[in-house]
Amino acid sequence: MKNLISRMLLGITILASSACTKIDNYDGPNASFEGNLVSSEGGNLLTSQGSTQIRLEQISWSATPSPQEIPSKFDGTFKDSKLFKGTYKVIPKGGAFWPLYDTVTVDINKGTKRDFTVTPYIIIKNFTATLNGKTLTLKYLMEAPIGAGLPTIIETQPYVNNTKLVGAGASIRDFSDLYKKSINKQWADMTDADKSVTIDIPDMLPGRKFFVRVGVRLNDSFKSSNFSDIIEIDVPAN
Amino acid sequence: MKSIHKLIIAISISAGALITSCQKLDIPPTNIFTPDIIFGSEAGVKSFLATIYRGLPIEDFKYRPDQGFKTGGNDWENFFNSASVTGEEVGPFGGMDIGTGFGYWPYGDIRNVNILIDELPKHADKLGQTNVNALLGEAHFLRAYYYFGLAKRYGGVPIVTTVQDPGAPISELQVHRDKEEATWDFIGAELDLGYQMMNETNEAGRANKYAAAALKSRAMLYAGSIAKYGSANFVDGPARAEGFAGIPAAKANDYFTKAVEAAKLLEGHYSLYEKNADKVQNYVDLFLKSESPENIFIKQYSIISNTAHSWDATMSPRYMTANALTRSYPTLELVQRWGALQVTNSDGTPKRFNDRAEIMQGLEPRLLATVYFPGATLRGLTFDMQRGIYPSFSGTAAAEVAKQSNSRSYILSGDTKTLYQGKMVIGFTGPWTGGDELTRTGFYVRKYIDAAKPISTVDLNRSEQPWLDLRYAEILLNRAEAAMELGNAGDALTLINMIRSRAGATPYTSIDIEKVRNERGMELAFENHYYWDLKRWRIADVVLNNARFKGLMPYYVFNENKYIFLAEPELFQRNYNFDKKFYYEPIPGGELGKNPNLYPNNPNY
Repeated sequence: MKNLISRMLLGITILASSACTKIDNYDGPNASFEGNLVSSEGGNLLTSQGSTQIRLEQISWSATPSPQEIPSKFDGTFKDSKLFKGTYKVIPKGGAFWPLYDTVTVDINKGTKRDFTVTPYIIIKNFTATLNGKTLTLKYLMEAPIGAGLPTIIETQPYVNNTKLVGAGASIRDFSDLYKKSINKQWADMTDADKSVTIDIPDMLPGRKFFVRVGVRLNDSFKSSNFSDIIEIDVPAN
Repeated sequence: MKSIHKLIIAISISAGALITSCQKLDIPPTNIFTPDIIFGSEAGVKSFLATIYRGLPIEDFKYRPDQGFKTGGNDWENFFNSASVTGEEVGPFGGMDIGTGFGYWPYGDIRNVNILIDELPKHADKLGQTNVNALLGEAHFLRAYYYFGLAKRYGGVPIVTTVQDPGAPISELQVHRDKEEATWDFIGAELDLGYQMMNETNEAGRANKYAAAALKSRAMLYAGSIAKYGSANFVDGPARAEGFAGIPAAKANDYFTKAVEAAKLLEGHYSLYEKNADKVQNYVDLFLKSESPENIFIKQYSIISNTAHSWDATMSPRYMTANALTRSYPTLELVQRWGALQVTNSDGTPKRFNDRAEIMQGLEPRLLATVYFPGATLRGLTFDMQRGIYPSFSGTAAAEVAKQSNSRSYILSGDTKTLYQGKMVIGFTGPWTGGDELTRTGFYVRKYIDAAKPISTVDLNRSEQPWLDLRYAEILLNRAEAAMELGNAGDALTLINMIRSRAGATPYTSIDIEKVRNERGMELAFENHYYWDLKRWRIADVVLNNARFKGLMPYYVFNENKYIFLAEPELFQRNYNFDKKFYYEPIPGGELGKNPNLYPNNPNY
């Protein structure tokens, strides 16, 4: 019996030791890449879900790599901590900013950081949200850093949600999409009155906390929106 | 004696060996089909053609725009159609789920056509030169059909016209994309060859020369509108800059002219189906009668060959079939292409109807033949659509619909068994939200439904009516649209009025491009054209901009014993959003991996 056990142990030892002979000589995805999308008008470019991405193409792997994308967070930062070390072509795309055409070549390693400066199509200024009874009044002003050649301005609308994650695709329809204002004008054809917007949202639910922002949507390739910052609103209970 | 026997055996063995050893061993293999066998007889060619026809990208009953062309025996989910992402219907798709396609890449089928074109001339002695020419023409039509399926999805694709040798160096096999313009021109040229070489007639299910002309009118119209509208509304990128996705605007009129010319070739050879004096029944029959002079190219199905489809069983409710599941329903928006339905009075209150069927009074026969309205009958049963009961109703329709559902005074039910004072709350045919299998809009599809089938035979995989892939009405619409784009309003008006006269509609006295497009939307509803129309007109991103669609909900007003109809959001509550990049589908990732020369991919992928 003892003999049998020792033979089995010997067998297991041999199998176990031989199983480890080959070593995967590739590094795991232990590199990371992070940074900010800086607006040329100050601060970060404010985004929302499904809009701006940082597109990476690993040219040290293949001449025609499949692109991969890091979505930007709502505050205009981005981070991917599970990338393979290597040389990448990088470009921000998909947001409401003047498109960049030149990719930047970056050697991505552990803790690589890089900021990108973009010029937003529209910036939203003087954004205020005031509560009058149950009616929420939003006021803001649109400005264009570069007016000439700006894509058609399609519409502007509020985004209201009950979490801090508020924006396109993350809002309560009855308080947001229903108050969309159609514009469909070129920037040059917009009057001062068009650019200065007031939106009333009636019948906010009492006793709730809401997060509010506004956006302006443009008819570029992505039909993307420029966003304001986010304001927190406490609707008092009756 | 024994030795003699041995001697005889030895002699016979050696003699046998000597005699048989002179046979040649180098003979053609007897267990595989060689080109001689296949292309040496008409039956052989026909069997080869059958494979090519079977793979043809015909967007028929069974086509699933997110999965592809289905040729199996149990592809019954016919409600997964492109109509149900475009607002013609709402249905099982959760939203714009078909924008990036399904990675269609039929170069295997194209290789088969190339083999056919390569081999046929070598067998002219057996097939006869006339036959070979006709078959070659058919092959060019088929090749064009495959490339049309590619071009409308990807723009420019590699044009492969030779039978590639799998042993050739990889650099030869890794073909480059051709420009979009070159791809459409190639399709046009192939169809010209098809028209010149094919005969006037062919078996049902196979193409004749007019099918080539008809497809050309469609393809050239597509190319023209891509040139015209794609140069105004586009997504920038390397593929566009290099001409793989996009055609110069200056080419538009050239293509429109070709579309008109191709359509004119059918004049006098085909006509609109007008055999029944009853305009509604006539329009119903046109999709069911095989002898229709309108059919140019059809695809057939049969239970015996295990190819039958399930249109009857998946477009009508279980109430009227033996075993069915419906999941896609026409929208109010589609119905109102024919004009607004008269369901409200001038003061905004809902009009009262004694009977649901009164809503059909005065509607265009074609509309009634396209969509089943509340009150219509099928197989002896009435479409008793009823969303719920109002014990009493006051106020305007608009005010009622704007209310939150919990402050509306109606009575709803999730079950046909629920009664309100002895009256059924919802109809056997819906609408309700408890399951997918009853209407969510108040309408059902009527086009292609075979009402003559007894209920017991209406089952899955039991429908055999052919798909009319090319019918003359479409060719007239192609020509009218191309003529309109070229500024020839007179021609367009005449053609549109031909369509309207057959449909039982009042003729137009003037015409514009919107009327032409709307006529196309009405005439070709549910025929899998509208998705491509939205794309080539480059308006999909506007029409389907977070779009929501409506239904028409019938209610019974209890205290008045009347019916009212309210236009309300459809009950799936779907939301459709078309990204601009969807105007071109991405080249399939697997192909890009095998062949880096297919880069650049289409913009924004």
